[in-house]
Amino acid sequence: MKRIAYASLAALSGVVLLVSYRASISSALSSSPGTATASSPQTTSSASGNVDPGVSAESATTSCSGLVDGTYQGQSVSTRYGDVQVQIVVENGTITAADAITYPSENSRDQQINSDAIPKLTSETLSAQSAQIDMISGATYTSRGYLESLQSALDQAQCG
Amino acid sequence: MSAGDPRPADFRRSVKVEQIMGTAVSIHVITAAESVAGESVAAAMGRVGARLHQVDRVCSPFLESSDICRIARGDLGLADADPMIAEIHRECLDARARTGGLFDPWWKGWFDPTGIVKGWAVERVVEQELAPLLEIRDVAAVGVNAGGDMQLLTAEDSPWVWEVGIVDPNDPRQMAARLSVTSGAIATSGIAERGDHIIDPRTGGAAHGIASSTVVADRLTEADLWATTAMIAGFDDLDWIATAGTRAGLLIASDGRVRRWSGGTRILADGAGLERFGRLPQAASA
Repeated sequence: MKRIAYASLAALSGVVLLVSYRASISSALSSSPGTATASSPQTTSSASGNVDPGVSAESATTSCSGLVDGTYQGQSVSTRYGDVQVQIVVENGTITAADAITYPSENSRDQQINSDAIPKLTSETLSAQSAQIDMISGATYTSRGYLESLQSALDQAQCG
Repeated sequence: MSAGDPRPADFRRSVKVEQIMGTAVSIHVITAAESVAGESVAAAMGRVGARLHQVDRVCSPFLESSDICRIARGDLGLADADPMIAEIHRECLDARARTGGLFDPWWKGWFDPTGIVKGWAVERVVEQELAPLLEIRDVAAVGVNAGGDMQLLTAEDSPWVWEVGIVDPNDPRQMAARLSVTSGAIATSGIAERGDHIIDPRTGGAAHGIASSTVVADRLTEADLWATTAMIAGFDDLDWIATAGTRAGLLIASDGRVRRWSGGTRILADGAGLERFGRLPQAASA
């Protein structure tokens, strides 16, 4: 039973597209993402000119203090096989649905785009103490290195 | 939780940190704020630590008494070793075949599964000791992060999402990227913390060119394997991505160039097919 529960969890709950959700919300709520303030740890400064518009959209600023109910369409993002655009539905401040509304092709591997997160690049100093980061992934740190690592700071901050 | 965080604030996090396998292992369990599952949670977290210590005793290449060292010396046969050795041995054979030899625990002439043991062990203890906690109503999510490689699980009906930061290999105090995961595994391989410790089995020399590679997959054994393989394959060889079955990934080159992919699809950012992480200095540590 336990094994079954684990297997179904692994199968059903993929990496979610929240990285794109945020960009989507940002572009939907703000007509000029680059002008938002940099006060929130989650806020990223606009990407430099050598990153294409699709990537800029992903690293656009997010300064809203909560999710506003409604349906939002993200900026279209180019991939090798075509454009991807994501639509989300927010109800009671929570994302209740997310779908790719523009889809590259019928190529089976493209289907994975719907369930896969793309690591979102940040171009700012992101505070390790931000309560919004739970875990840190990086080149394996040694026990000694850990003492200074971001995860250490997080473990302390989270356990107060 | 700060403003802008979509997750409800009424979660409580239990964290236990253990020094195992030469690194720090953070064991996290997320419960409802008013959870009554404390005893079960604490017991399970204790078992995670104990089992990882046991794996280290059997598999450490640095302990002369470990089964791995005894096998290498010829003092112990595979069949007589701890049963976990047979499982790890199978994983290694499979990994070598699927990576076309890029990942090769036998390249030194004896069986050294160190590259796979940590990820395999974490995946296993999360599945066997922490996943059952998710059947308790109060428990929202469980996860273990062993030195930057993690296996995370979230209860199906929970709004919890793990927010993961990817360290900037050229400035470990900062993050190069972040991603959101409900259930899955994330591994990062790199040269930032331990120098050139990844060896290209084809040349016997250190792998170079990539400062760090991050891979997202269902299982940590998979994520770890492909993160290591990416280091060896190098920044320009992305052929393995098409068949690896990873969910997503991020490569950061020593000179600051960035490549990302989702599924088998590489994400192209400009005409040259390269992204450049604007803040990174050029040729920082080539």
